[in-house]
Amino acid sequence: MLKVTDVKKAYGKFTVLEDINLEVADGEFLAIMGPSGSGKSTLINILGLLDQSYTGEYLLEDKNYQNVSDNELSRIRGDQLGFVFQNFKLLTTYNVYENIEIPLIYSKKAQNNKQELIADVIDKVGLTGKEKNRPSELSGGQQQRVAIARAIVNRPKLIIADEPTGALDSKTSKEIMDIFTKLNKAGTTVIMVTHDSEVAEYAMRTVYIRDGHLYNDEKSVKNHD
Amino acid sequence: MTDKILIAFKSIGKNKNRNFLTMLGIIIGIASVICILAIGDGFAHTVTKGMGNHNTRNKVILQWEPTSDYNTDGGFTQNDASVLEKVPGVDHVKLASSIAEAGAKVSYKTKTASIGLNKQPKNLKLVKGTYFTMTGASNGIYISEDLAHKLFKENAINRLISVDGTIFVVQGIYHISNMNYRPDAYVSKTIFKQLFASQISRDQAKLYVQPDANKKQVGKTAVKRMKAMGEQKQTGKYSVSNPDAISKQFTRILNDITYFIAFIAGISLLIAGIGVMNVMYITVSERRKEIGIRRAFGATSSDIRNQFLIESVVLCIIGGVIGIILGYILVSIINAFLPFKADITSYAIILSLSVSTAVGLIFGFIPSNKAAKSELVGLLKEE
Repeated sequence: MLKVTDVKKAYGKFTVLEDINLEVADGEFLAIMGPSGSGKSTLINILGLLDQSYTGEYLLEDKNYQNVSDNELSRIRGDQLGFVFQNFKLLTTYNVYENIEIPLIYSKKAQNNKQELIADVIDKVGLTGKEKNRPSELSGGQQQRVAIARAIVNRPKLIIADEPTGALDSKTSKEIMDIFTKLNKAGTTVIMVTHDSEVAEYAMRTVYIRDGHLYNDEKSVKNHD
Repeated sequence: MTDKILIAFKSIGKNKNRNFLTMLGIIIGIASVICILAIGDGFAHTVTKGMGNHNTRNKVILQWEPTSDYNTDGGFTQNDASVLEKVPGVDHVKLASSIAEAGAKVSYKTKTASIGLNKQPKNLKLVKGTYFTMTGASNGIYISEDLAHKLFKENAINRLISVDGTIFVVQGIYHISNMNYRPDAYVSKTIFKQLFASQISRDQAKLYVQPDANKKQVGKTAVKRMKAMGEQKQTGKYSVSNPDAISKQFTRILNDITYFIAFIAGISLLIAGIGVMNVMYITVSERRKEIGIRRAFGATSSDIRNQFLIESVVLCIIGGVIGIILGYILVSIINAFLPFKADITSYAIILSLSVSTAVGLIFGFIPSNKAAKSELVGLLKEE
């Protein structure tokens, strides 16, 4: 799916990521764990083509996107990637249906069967009947379901989730993780950032990030300390 | 596109008060534009229609003007007319007067007044007495309210007055409003012809030309001949009168007024534009989170720019439409006070909508561009 080789990112003298090497296979469910400020959000911004200012090489589906146009990047983000954020990032003045519709507005893929696609993902995340509700009328768990529906409505190959359960209680977290597991089993690659080891257990593989360095297991993190 | 227009309406509706205040400038600006154009068009229409009545197409009008203000008697004589009829291209000649009333002295007992007098019109609204068309050598006279006040303390009806030595009976009194010019008195057509018409100087000669005649050439030759043979060549000047001249002067004044109001409308629209720019800047910075989300889910930077541009244009067009409606109301009110009818043409509406769109595009561009150029990672940090 993707391959990261010697990626480095710095803000002036301050290095955020150092020699990151990572490979993720198609259909994998990867958890990236690390404390806050460790650089995990920076890493997934690069993986999600949201941040292009880094050195090293990042190939998504064997293609390097570092020097492509903004339009091309936007198209790839819209068609192949789906984002889920910690604080849901829903538009508060839009209802559930309209929030989920956003990626379809900018995609050329689905112009004729928008309603079907939206109904399908609403069903998948278990929100049928809530189409007309505003985010403020929903619980945290339900809002995150809307965010997941929005992320998958364009049938992306890769879902990038940044602390998807960070704002949820443990019961709701479990429900959300079950949705991710289901999506992954259906073939979608999932990369998830979390600092919760219980949540990370849903993933097939966990990598650790600390002070901008990436480690393949917890032991090497400790050795580094 | 439809998606983006819907988004625009939604976000404008979210901040109704703020956006209405922003639109005020556009509303006032567009309403002024509508009023100016309506008055201008209405005036132009009236003038063209009036010229149609003059029907200057088949005639050349010669004018005689006295060289001295003290000598207003004179003009064209029958002899002059026969000279003019011999000008090549002229079919026949009619003598006329630009001043349609005769001067006369009126007296009642010891009181006297100088008045302008004319033959009675078909219809006249009286304040006292009854109006009818006097036939034959009737010695009835209709006088103005002002003249009645000058001559009589009270009831004027049926009193006898002397006009240039002839006795007339007052039949009725009419009011002269500020809007309409009328002479001080009216007598019957026959009496007017017999006693007063000769006083009116025939300072105009209407040369009806043959269909294939060159009017300019006819005018030139006619003036030349009058300068040589005209009976009043010593006391006055002959020239070709241009019936457009008066309306041209009027149009010029109107144009000056139009430029002035257009200037105000322009300033109003400029300030409105700055208001739009300001509100768009606010909107863009309030919606950084939304921009981030849209960008993350596939919106290109030009999608974002277009979205805010459309919003700014929609805002201005709504203002423009309200302005047109306000302009329509204002024009209806103005029409009650104008001597001609101001009308709103489709051209004025199209122009107004184009101006609104242009204001939206011009003043929305910089804020929209700012939204489009924002750093994506920064946008997604917004809550």
